[in-house]
This record gives sequence, C-alpha cells and structure tokens, in this order.
Amino acid sequence: MTTPAIEIEGLEVEFPRYGTAPVKALRGIDLAIAEQEILGLVGESGAGKTTLARAIMQLVPPPGRIARGRVRFRGEDLAGLDPERLRRLRGQVMAMVIANPKSELNPLLTVGQQIGNVLRYHTGLTGKPLRDRVMEMLKEVRIPDPERRYDAWPHELSGGMAQRVVMSIALICDPRFVISDDATSGLDVTVQAQVLELLQRLVARHRTAMLFITRDIGITAHFCDRVAVIYGGEIVELAPREPFFANPHHPYTVLLLAAFSHNPRLRGYWHRQGTSAGETGPAETGCPFAPRCVRARDRCRAEAPRLRELEPGHFVRCHFPVER
Amino acid sequence: MTVTGSTIPAVSRGAGSFAFFRAVLRNHPSFALGYAIVLLVVLLATFAPWVAPFPPEFADADVFLQPPGWPHLLGTDATGMDVLSRMIWAPRIDLSIAVLGTLLSALVGSVLGALVGYYQSVRGLARLAAGFVMRAADVLQAFPVFVFAIALVAVFGQSLQSIVLAIAFVNAPIYLRLMRNQAMSIRTMRYVEAAWLAGLPDARIIVRHVVPNAMAPVLAQLSVNIGWSILLTASLSFIGAGVKAPTPEWGSMIAMGYQNIITGQWWSSIFPGLALAVTVFGFALVGSSIEVLSDPARRRRLSGRLTAARGAA
Amino acid sequence: MTLLPYVGRRLLFVLPQLVGILFVSFLMVKLIPGDPAVLMLGPFATPDSLAKLRAELGLDHSIFVQFLIYLGKAARGDLGFSWQTTMPVTTDLAQRFPATLELVTLGLLLALAIGIPLGVAGARYRRGPLRAAADYYGLLAGALPDFWLALVLIYVFYTLLAWAPAPLGRIDLSILPPEPVTGSLLIDSLLAGNWETFQNAAAHLVLPVLTLGLINAGPILKMTQATTERMLDSDFSRYAELCGLPHGIIVRQAFRNALPSVVTIVSVLYGFLIGGAVLVEIVFSWGGAGQYAVQGVLNADLNPVLGFVLYSAVLSLVIYLLVDLVYFAIDPRTR
Repeated sequence: MTTPAIEIEGLEVEFPRYGTAPVKALRGIDLAIAEQEILGLVGESGAGKTTLARAIMQLVPPPGRIARGRVRFRGEDLAGLDPERLRRLRGQVMAMVIANPKSELNPLLTVGQQIGNVLRYHTGLTGKPLRDRVMEMLKEVRIPDPERRYDAWPHELSGGMAQRVVMSIALICDPRFVISDDATSGLDVTVQAQVLELLQRLVARHRTAMLFITRDIGITAHFCDRVAVIYGGEIVELAPREPFFANPHHPYTVLLLAAFSHNPRLRGYWHRQGTSAGETGPAETGCPFAPRCVRARDRCRAEAPRLRELEPGHFVRCHFPVER
Repeated sequence: MTVTGSTIPAVSRGAGSFAFFRAVLRNHPSFALGYAIVLLVVLLATFAPWVAPFPPEFADADVFLQPPGWPHLLGTDATGMDVLSRMIWAPRIDLSIAVLGTLLSALVGSVLGALVGYYQSVRGLARLAAGFVMRAADVLQAFPVFVFAIALVAVFGQSLQSIVLAIAFVNAPIYLRLMRNQAMSIRTMRYVEAAWLAGLPDARIIVRHVVPNAMAPVLAQLSVNIGWSILLTASLSFIGAGVKAPTPEWGSMIAMGYQNIITGQWWSSIFPGLALAVTVFGFALVGSSIEVLSDPARRRRLSGRLTAARGAA
Repeated sequence: MTLLPYVGRRLLFVLPQLVGILFVSFLMVKLIPGDPAVLMLGPFATPDSLAKLRAELGLDHSIFVQFLIYLGKAARGDLGFSWQTTMPVTTDLAQRFPATLELVTLGLLLALAIGIPLGVAGARYRRGPLRAAADYYGLLAGALPDFWLALVLIYVFYTLLAWAPAPLGRIDLSILPPEPVTGSLLIDSLLAGNWETFQNAAAHLVLPVLTLGLINAGPILKMTQATTERMLDSDFSRYAELCGLPHGIIVRQAFRNALPSVVTIVSVLYGFLIGGAVLVEIVFSWGGAGQYAVQGVLNADLNPVLGFVLYSAVLSLVIYLLVDLVYFAIDPRTR
C-alpha cells in the first residue's frame, strides 16, 4: 500500500480559556487520504471543519493549539518540520481554497499580483513568464475576459469570480493536495454548480488529492470518492460514496440525508427526530450526539462510542447504529 | 440573533475579575509600573506638606544655585528655593488642574456626544442641533491647540480656574467625537432597538444601554488625557501664561531655570522636567492598560497566553 | 476625472469653516482685556490722541462691522499691522511662516524615519527586546515635554560638548542670510550657491529638528505598530500565510495596508505642529510663526493672531487635500 497523501492520527485541537477548561474543537480525528483521492467531509457550523483544515496546514489561529496527535504529509510529520520547510510546502504542495474569498484577498493588490505572488515566492518566476502563467491559470478557471481581470481589484469582483481567483491561487503551483474549505458557501446556486464542476475538472486534470469540506451533504454525492461526517469534533461516519448514500448508519448522517430525501423510511425518521438543530451543542461526556438523538439510550449518555468498522471500509461511531 | 430588551452585553471591563487584573499586571510589568507611578504622584500630591524637606516657597538667598548635595538633595534654583521640595509640591497644582480640566471636558463632551450620536439619525430639530454642535466642534478642533489655550487663558484672566477652563475647552471635542461614534454604533444594535420598541424613554435608553458600553474607550482616553493636560499646564506655565511663580509647578520651574542651563547649572530645570515626563508616562501606561483590558479580542489572546503560562509553570 | 469638481466642492465646504474660525479668533482676541489704543500709545497718552487712534483703528464700530472690515481687507491681501513689530502682518509672516514650516517639515521627516521602522518592527515581533523597546519608546516619546527635551539637548550638545551652535536663532548673527526665495534657509542658500550659509543654517537646525523628531516619532510609531499589527491579524494576512508567502513579505504587505492610517496621523501632527512647535521655537529663539502668534495673544495684538490663524488654517486645508489625494493613490477602493 502506498503512502497516503495525508494521514491524520488522533488529532486534538483545543482553545484554552482563562480559569476554566479549554474548549476542545477537535477530539481525536483519524483520517487518511490517498494520492488523487477526493474525500468529502460534511458537518454543521462549529463541528470543527475549518479547525481541521487549518490544523492540517499547521496554522491553527492562536490561542488555539494542537494538543495531541499527528498530521503526516506523504509520511512526513508536519509538526516536526522546521518553519521554513513548512512554509514552502504551503501553497506550493499543500494548498487551500477558502470560503469568503473577498474578505481574504488583499484589497490593495490586483488579482494578477496576488496569483502571481504565490507563484513568484515559491518558484522565483518573474516578469513575462510569470504573467503568462497567471494568464494561463485564469483561462483554466474560465474567468471571462482574463486580460482585464488580471488588473482588477478584489472589491470589483463578484462572488463567483473571487472564488475562481482563489482557486487559481490554490492551484497555480500544481499542489499534490488541496483542501477546499466550504468553497461554495454563499454563492448563488447556479454559480455554485459552475464552481463545483470547475473544481472537479481541475482536480482530475492536475491529479491532486482533495479534502472537500462542506455543510451540504448533497454536493458530496457528485464527485467524492469517500465521504466522512464530522460532529462535535469527531468523525462519526466514514464510508466510500456508494455505501454511504445507500446505507448510512449514524443517526446524524441519516438526519442530514433525511432532510432532503424522498425515501419514505428516511422521511419517517426525519419527522420523528424533529428539527432540534442549534439548541443543544455536543455533549462533553458520552456520545456527543446523544442530546439530539431520538435513539439515545442510557449507554449513549454514559459511554462515548468508538469508531467501528461495520462493513469493509464503512466506519461508524455509534452504540446503536441505524440498520437497513 | 435573539432579541431581549434588557440584555446588556457584558460590559467588557466588568467581565474580568481582580485576579485576572493581577495576572495581567504580572505579565505586563510596564502596566504595573504605570499604576505605581500614578499612585506615587497622587500620594505626593496628598502628603506633600509632610514629605517635602523644605517649604516650597522659602527662598534662601545665601544658597542660590547650589548643585545637588546636602541638605538640598537636588540642589537649589536661582532664588535659593529647594528644588526637591518644590518638585514634591508641584503635583498638587498640576494634578488638580489636569484632573479637573479633563473631567470637566469628559463630562461635557461625553454628554453632548452621547446626545448628538443618539439623535443623529432622528429627523427634525434634534438633528439640526446635532449638526450644529458637530460643526462647532470642527471649528474648535481646527484651532491651533496651543494658541487657543493661551488665548483662553488670556481671555479669562490668568488664574488656576482659567487654566482648568482652557483644558476643558481644548479637550471637549475629543470626548464629543468619541461618545458620538460610540452612541451611533450602539444605537443601531438590536437590543437598543428592542428597548425603544418596548417604549422605554430615550433618556433611560441612553443611560442604561449606551453609556455603559461606551465607557471603556472613554476611560482609556481619560488617563492619557490627564497626562497630556499636565503637559499643557506645564507648557502654559513655561511661557508665563499659566501658573505664576513662585507657586511650585513643574513647567514654571523649568522656565525659571532655563537661562541657567546654558551656563551649566542644569539641576533646577532638568529634574522638574524628569518628574513631569515620568508622571505623564505613568498616565499613558495606565491608559494603555485600560485599552488592552477593555478590548475583547486582546483579552481573549491574553487569557489564552496566561493560561498557557500557568499550565507550563 | 472627478478630481476637479471634487476639489471644488471641498473648497466650497471649507470657506464657511474658514470664516467661522476667523470669527471665533476675532472674538477671542477682542475679549482679551486691554485697550489696544492704550497699549499702543502708552499710559501717558492724552484722551484725544487715544480717541483719534481708536477711530483710525475702527474700534468704534460694532464687533461684526469690525470683523467684516477685516474680512474685506484680508480678501484683498491686507492683513493689517502688528503694533509690536510695526510691520505689516504679511511681511512678518512671510519671514516667520517658512521658518516654522522648514522646522516642522524636517522634524516630521525625522520622526517618520524613526517611527515607521520601529513601528513595523514592533508589529512584526510579538515579544522580545525590539518589541519592548518600541512599546516603551512610543509611550515615553509622547510623555516628554518638548521644551524640556530641547533644554536637555542644548545642555548636552552645546554646554557640555560644544558640538552644536548656540540656540540663538536660525543662523549665526555674523552670517548674512541669503536672498529670500522660498523662505527656507536651506533651500535659499543652495539656490544662491552659498555653501557656508547652508552649513550654518543646517547646524542650527540640528537640535530643534532632533527635538521635534524624537518626540513626534512616538505617535507615528504607535499608529504604525497598532495598525500594522491589526493588519497582520486580519483575514488576508492569515490567507497569505496559508499560501506560504514568506513572513517578510506578509509584514510588508500588512504595512502597505496600514499606510492610510500613517498618512492620517502625519497630517494631524503637521497641522498640530504649526502652532504646537511654539515652545521649541521659543527655546531656540527661532523667530517662527507660532512664537509670533503667542506674542500677539499675550499682548492683545490682534492682527498677528488673526494672520497666523488664517495661514495655518489654509495650510491645514492644503494638507488635508493632499492627504485625500494620497488616499486616492494608495487605496483602490476610494476610486
């Protein structure tokens, strides 16, 4: 078996607070993404998706910190690398496509400058060859009128265009691994579809591995090889695409799928579960989903379940998983 | 976002505990220094008669321009008055003028500012009045500050009260603008709208909601302002438009020793200036500490670092 | 381009403010106790001559009429006489205003040279000796009395070390000042090709410029540091980090984004120092505009004060206009 592109082992991230226990954003994540594999990660706001993305890049915003666990890129432990080597990996070999691009692009630099900067500071390319490469990238992401857009300012871009710019920045150095953090949120539905299609094409062409993070479980059905669900800082289900959608086991996954499903069994579940979203956060002890789960029993509140392989390749973290 | 009429978001300063404050001081020794300096100056101002070795206005012509030594630890000035004693008595004047002037300006400026900011978006007479006040403040602030202060002192006649008034006039626009900006931004917050919808009278809304949340920047500004007002008082006294000799005041002491510096007798000017600088520095540090304590983002980072430090200890 | 109508609109706005400022100054000086006629003719003047002088000075009209008369004359370039110097105010200011400008400009340039690098360094390093030095300097510099620092510098560099010339003005009395073209001794002596005068003027400038520069570096440092730090904490800086850009480049970009705030504070300081440098001017016997105005106030000499207020208000306006143009240039969002 070849070395996976990204290997995450027991990753725990916490945010210390003065005088009380720290907030645990990630409670032990185990995940591996193979070369050229696309792994979808679904979770609601606050589940830890972005924290995971930043932790992989070793850039958890202070005062947060990685408390335990390891992230390996092609076998190398990222925490052990010296900062300069890590910096060179970022953007060049491991890249990220972010959400809210307009607030994260530098308002005082043009599109061309920002895309070019990443290429320049990683490869030393300058002048005309640099500009040509950027132009090439702009065309690849199908930005209309690339000559003019090259000199555009971020505040002049629409959401969809800004997203394409950010994709260019991520892919211009031809990275081996890309994290797409909620890259389609906030976009109009039609634009969303375009962006997704673009992403799919780019990943296939450049043969990158990808961690595709989203809040919308439906999107993952399009092109992810495997899908994982994160809740309360833990992976609660992980399976290849087909079994995931055909036979979900974790109550939360079922809830996510049921919300939009026509399947009568799932709709029935949805009605029983109700819309208890948002009011109860994940529990500190026992199963984090227990407070919201209609199937919860005493054992769920007392004992935290561990990740078990129910079928080959299909992992679930639940004492009483949903069966067919 | 839930809307409840009487919910006041935690007043940033009140959300801390004294233990947190002490921990901050321990991690930022410069802040502790600031508080120590301010405390010392206040103590000197209060207990000057008991601390000073000589009466401040006692001029012994036999010992004029004596270098630092015994019994005049910091030397004497050109008229024979003891420099150290006068330095110890000076905070009484400087501090009281500065504090009175600053408080006055803060009071008038903040009240006006809160009103202006609150009624800015309301239509009618109140809005016109608000506009007029802002234009007047613009004109006031466009004045060269120093010339303005001197002119005010000249107009009101040279006395301690007129210096206080001058300081108040010069600083009021700062608080006016500060409170106005705060009032305008807080007014648009949901809980204020809720209170207004619930029928609370304007005055009550302003007092209960607008003011507490605007306090932090005003407090930080107050401390820095007091320091700056001390400088202004000393500057006015230096050119003879402030506190008159022989009343002990740092600025006038520097002025009195001014000519002597060139001939080499530096102590009667340098020491008072040092005291002045250290005092203003102390107030600036205190102001800076209030700024840090009341900024929620910095508090978060601070608390994280403190916990990490605690954990490592 | 929308520049010309924009400038025009600003000027329109500004004219009533100017008149307002002048009127308030007028009122204030009028309120200063002291009869100008008595002050000019002395305590032994006869009532008749006093009355005649008062009529000449137009003092028997109402305040408003007096002000309008002044405005009318000012619009024609006549700012009246100073009874202290017995010269026209315009002549006095033509000499004194450039003296202050030269001093303040050089002082601020020095302050920028000190404040910006220290501020950026302070923002870049969250802790360590450089950061501590920057923090302390920022606060200390703002606390130092400028007239006191001037005295310290004079004591050290003139009395003790004899490196600096005597603090008795802009130039040695024995040297002939160059032909006044701009009013700045440095520029004028260069234009006249007079190297000796240039050196002498420069030597006299060292201590006062040092005083202003050291002190005003404080606020510039604090603003640069605070804003650059805020930019370093912002989304786009974190994003740049994600993209693996070198740390030095990230700091440079953060500073570039902080530039508008730095420009703002420089403009505020500039406006402030035109009148605010008066103490330094007094200590060094500089013969500057601030000194002139202060003498006017202390002696109830109206015209110099009004003239000074007018000049400095106009200068502030020019500065703010320039600053807006600078904003246009550095921030694309304003276009």
